[in-house]
Amino acid sequence: MTVSPARCDIPRIEILDASDEAIERELAASGLTLTVDEARKVSEILGRDPTVVEANIFNTMWSEHCSYKSSRAVLSKYLPTEASNVVLGPGEDAGIVRLCEVDGAVYCVAVAHESHNHPSQVVPNEGAATGIGGIVRDVYCMGADVIGVLDPLRFGDPTGPNAERTREIVHGVVEGIWQYGNALGVPNLGGDVYFDRSYDENCLVNVVAVGLVREDEIVRSRVPTEAAAEPYDVILIGKPTDPSGFGGATFASRILDEAKALDDKYAVQVPDPFLKRMLTVATAEVMATARARGLAIGFKDLGAGGIACATSELGAAAGLGVRIDLSSVVVAEEGMLPEVIACSETQERYCLVVPRRFTEEVLRVYNETFELPELCHGAMARVIGEVIPEARFVLEHEGSTVCDASTEAITTGISYDRDARERARGGGRVEVPQSIDLAAAVLEVVGSANVASREHVYRHYDGEVKGCAVVRPGEADAGVLAPIPDSADGVAVSVDGNPFLGGVDPYTAGAAAVAEAVRNVAAVGAVPIAITDCLNFGSPEVPEVFHDFVEAVRGIGDAARGIGMKDSDEPVPIISGNVSFYNQSSGGSAILPSPVVCCVGHLPDFTRHLTAGLKRPGNVLYVVGERHGELGASEFARSVLGETGTDPAPVRFDEERAMCAAVTDLAGECLIESCHDISDGGLVAAVVEMIALAAPDATTGAAMDLAWEGRAVPLAEAARTLFCENGGYILEVDPVNVEAVRTALEARGAWFRRLGVTTAGPSLVIGGAEGGDTEILVSDLERAWTHGATEVMT
Amino acid sequence: MTGSRARMAVIQFPGMNCEEETRRAVVAAGASCDVFRWNGPVEELRSYDGFVLPGGFSYQDRVRAGAIAAKDHIISCLCEEAESGKPVLGICNGAQILLETGLVPGVTPGRVEMGLATNVMPDRDGYHTRWTHLRVETDATCATAAIPRGSIVPIPVAHAEGRFVTTEEGLMERLSRAGQVVMTYTSYDGGDASGFPANPNGSSADIAAISNPRGNVVAMMPHPERSAWLFQVPESLGGEWGAKRREARGHDDMRGPGPGAAVLDSLVRSCMARAR
Repeated sequence: MTVSPARCDIPRIEILDASDEAIERELAASGLTLTVDEARKVSEILGRDPTVVEANIFNTMWSEHCSYKSSRAVLSKYLPTEASNVVLGPGEDAGIVRLCEVDGAVYCVAVAHESHNHPSQVVPNEGAATGIGGIVRDVYCMGADVIGVLDPLRFGDPTGPNAERTREIVHGVVEGIWQYGNALGVPNLGGDVYFDRSYDENCLVNVVAVGLVREDEIVRSRVPTEAAAEPYDVILIGKPTDPSGFGGATFASRILDEAKALDDKYAVQVPDPFLKRMLTVATAEVMATARARGLAIGFKDLGAGGIACATSELGAAAGLGVRIDLSSVVVAEEGMLPEVIACSETQERYCLVVPRRFTEEVLRVYNETFELPELCHGAMARVIGEVIPEARFVLEHEGSTVCDASTEAITTGISYDRDARERARGGGRVEVPQSIDLAAAVLEVVGSANVASREHVYRHYDGEVKGCAVVRPGEADAGVLAPIPDSADGVAVSVDGNPFLGGVDPYTAGAAAVAEAVRNVAAVGAVPIAITDCLNFGSPEVPEVFHDFVEAVRGIGDAARGIGMKDSDEPVPIISGNVSFYNQSSGGSAILPSPVVCCVGHLPDFTRHLTAGLKRPGNVLYVVGERHGELGASEFARSVLGETGTDPAPVRFDEERAMCAAVTDLAGECLIESCHDISDGGLVAAVVEMIALAAPDATTGAAMDLAWEGRAVPLAEAARTLFCENGGYILEVDPVNVEAVRTALEARGAWFRRLGVTTAGPSLVIGGAEGGDTEILVSDLERAWTHGATEVMT
Repeated sequence: MTGSRARMAVIQFPGMNCEEETRRAVVAAGASCDVFRWNGPVEELRSYDGFVLPGGFSYQDRVRAGAIAAKDHIISCLCEEAESGKPVLGICNGAQILLETGLVPGVTPGRVEMGLATNVMPDRDGYHTRWTHLRVETDATCATAAIPRGSIVPIPVAHAEGRFVTTEEGLMERLSRAGQVVMTYTSYDGGDASGFPANPNGSSADIAAISNPRGNVVAMMPHPERSAWLFQVPESLGGEWGAKRREARGHDDMRGPGPGAAVLDSLVRSCMARAR
């Protein structure tokens, strides 16, 4: 039984003695989204009626966004999160994995992965910008320096009924990302873009932040244990607290209603990359001083649930308590209610827990050295509370205690066992007409909005700030960085997830997202070391949607284990992730099940990295990975045949594992000139992209021969080979290395065939199919690929 | 000078974000280098041999890019140092600040004669990032002292406002005659830029960098610190440097100097020459 707040005039939500109807009315009147059952559970945990502030805290903490109440059990059942290289798995703001050792120091990569979908649909610019703003805080607060961000985006149909709004959203989201990321000074390492009608009323803006941190300099999001022995202060840093984002977490946890979207604008926060940059440089100085003095500190970003969530979790993680005086919080406007101060999600704030003897110096760095109050409209660092020995979470406001509960109670989770039911799917195997026009089909596929060049988007993003970019977006399958000065170690990152697979087979979609992200990292020569996921689905209360979710998670887990880490029996560990439910239209139709996976890889010597552009005429092209010919959900089936089918290529884990090992072996030995993975659009799209990405003075075409089994193949079979999207790679090999490459591929058991040669000619020739060669001018291919997506976005 | 090395300062205004890599690139060129905060002691600033204003978004680019920083109290000290002949290089936002102070082009001292306007690009707007090829038009400035005239130097741009413009009649011709046009955008093989994308922002006369009449103050939009090492150069770049980059796979050369290093070498050399 917990003690009641001292004064009885504190507003409360009446639950214990109220009827269900009365509770429902009161919850609605207070703007709370807790269910009646949940409200009853709150009073049961507290042993009394909650104060309004407490009810708001539970409301946020028990939102789907914060509590993972529908997903937690599924995630822990299927996802492998442990491996020998993992320093910190899922649970804190970012996962951390070891990268390399340089001069006795162990360097780690911290990765956070989230969604900012609903805000981006309502106010695209601010929604996407605060997506970047929020995800980088998750990495900074581990003591890491953010070395890159990535942004997988899913938009509505740019030629469909909602075309105008879709284009506005595309423009606003891209603008929000560049305006925030470029000003903050974090390089953009990549991302992907898909268009589909299911995203018309619910776009997806996922964000990934990647950071670098020395293992001995990791800062935890918890009150240090030293706080049991000496006084510790809680310091709030950053923007004055305002009502923006009050209810943001609950906003993300329900279905978006476009008609009421204007009402939701206050749930979206206001981005300020300038202030974030100032906070970043000032915090780096505070951290360096704390390290130099050997002071233990705790650091946490303020995200969902604001001050209340951040400070209670800081305390709970250490088994200690926190007392906060909400009246000492710097606020942007007069008369803010205590629950708003406690739970608002104002951007650009952090919470620091430091020994009291260090407090004055911390305040001086932020407020005087870096002049935060003068430069950033009243932003500052100020003490708002202290660590207390009892494990209680106490909030005071104008002399009253508005929250007083055990930290354990506040941070108690909640979980639901949702019903799952497989959805009925129609359709069948995709059949290819015998009379297929290969040239027309190739141009159609490479010019499709979902395959064509993303240059229009990434040209807005600064990929080179910080000076450590080795491979930028658009040059290869993954971004590559050399983030440690004077070290040869490189980091590669890619993020993927084909939503059309989700529409026909969510298990395959999950597995394929892992396989593609792994392939993309391997295709630049890096060995995969960790993955993260962001799982975007409709309402978990709909059994079919929940089944899609469970299947996708199962697919991710199986792929992480089945592909596994190179030369090891460990899985590629999943070190962080996020679940985003309630992505659907107000009419009730869910988005395509959209699992998105990010993979991080290590290059022991970044000078041995690979890019996708062909290097010179006269080299040999190999295809690695048997072409199995399934066309379900492929770009060819959808764009050329106008159907989706139900026979997507399954992910063949053993094949993926062998190929990944072989390609990274070859890169490490400098035996290949360029490499590109086979995915959207199939083998032929990969070859066209390799041609298009060559240097302007290394003009190359290619000649392919599909008669690799010694006979010309029928046209329909040729189409299957060219357009099927099961995993594989195209390698460009110097003739002098051909034998060494074949030996290395055989040693790993990777299937391969000689595909053809690079030429100085102006065309792509597809030979070995019945009816003679198909020849397409490179200029036509490049025009289709370069403009295909730009045209629909502008 | 400390011993045989130049002492340089990268000036950090609030909101800049390229100070650290710029400092590293200056050090790689042989100088010692500190990041000097905008509210640091002005007298200490005078002890440096030369200065770099790096890229970023000083004061959030409020009003206009570079406009607020140009009014900062540290600037008057910087102007005096520049007038005494010390080298000053402004990169991107740093270039915008130098134009706002009137140091560059500085035909009439103290007067703002040029601006850096919003990019003009076909079918696009906003920020634009791209590798550009620069033709070095003069070796008589602090940014090009170590580069033969006519050299083609690839360096990337990243900005939303990088178009050199002026309303002063005859100024462009005058700058050109006086050798104050330091670098122009060109194609990878040295031909004329002929518009976008080789000229990435619609800059008048393809101008990428301008100096003051004396050549010791240079404002350039491209970022030499992002081209200071060969690994930073894209493999798909055309011309000599792209070929060098492709040939460097698996070799330590890739971690050696890139094309932009010559700009920082020039700067450090200019500091040494003057200090001596």
